[in-house]
Amino acid sequence: MLAKYYRAFKEDLDQRGIIFSFSGYLSEGILYSLGEALRQKMTLEETDIGTVKKVFSVFIEQSQNIIRYSAEKLASDSGGPIELSSGMVTIGSENNRFFIVCGNVVLANDEPRLRERLERLQGMDKDQIKAYYKEQLREAPEEASRGATIGLIEIARRASDPIEFDFERIDPDSFFFCMKVSI
Amino acid sequence: MVSESLKIAGTERSPEIEFDFERGFLRFRGESYPEDASAVFGPVFVALDRFLAEAGGREIQAEFDLAYFNSSSAKALMNIFLRLDSAAAAGTPVSVRWLHAPDDDTMREFGEDFGEDLDHVVFTLVAADPAG
Repeated sequence: MLAKYYRAFKEDLDQRGIIFSFSGYLSEGILYSLGEALRQKMTLEETDIGTVKKVFSVFIEQSQNIIRYSAEKLASDSGGPIELSSGMVTIGSENNRFFIVCGNVVLANDEPRLRERLERLQGMDKDQIKAYYKEQLREAPEEASRGATIGLIEIARRASDPIEFDFERIDPDSFFFCMKVSI
Repeated sequence: MVSESLKIAGTERSPEIEFDFERGFLRFRGESYPEDASAVFGPVFVALDRFLAEAGGREIQAEFDLAYFNSSSAKALMNIFLRLDSAAAAGTPVSVRWLHAPDDDTMREFGEDFGEDLDHVVFTLVAADPAG
């Protein structure tokens, strides 16, 4: 039963073209290791350097967004610097393109602003996104954003199509947020 | 007399940073995607401000040899370029070399973008294979 269950689970992932998927508490150390594995895999498969760089960049920005903004966090009781954020990052390929998906819980209060930022980016073409990036590079970070805007613009810049995203309500205070980028 | 120098070893996620006050030479090398970019680049801002205050308009040569950086590092780099450009506007000769691998379009484009924003710094893009 055990092998049957997990074989089905793995086959489901394989059929979806998933190279790897991480779900759980994400730290900067895990991010580094996953990023290295991703680059090695793509390099071994002789993916061109431009694509490797784009996929890696989107992976890093998405993962660091989870680490910074996930509403599902585990903090040490002492209130010290140890804090872990939960979320998922999935990388795969379909139709000869790579895709990177992230998912995490966000507070209902943060949903409108995140939605507005992403919709704004969806409505821009490549030149507008580049100009917006250059403009935001000179701006001081927005209060409490810790740099989210520039990270999202970087993701939009590397994406081959507009970013796809969705929110599903969990309860009155939170949503599950999900973003998919194709390269 | 300016004699102190800044030297920060690179890590897996942060660049090697060297600022030789004697030569007025500032260099960043490696990759930069630390959790907290301000912790990595903060000492550079402090050193740069001190150099500019004490060096009396002596020349600065800066070299950026970065293979990858994340968006919060890009903000820190912009901040360094703005400081260098205003120093250059005030009379300090500043030259910047931006190195990128010949086939790395992303890093070349970043270099072009930074270069376009600088009015007083002498900015050079250099396509070179990464140093060992």
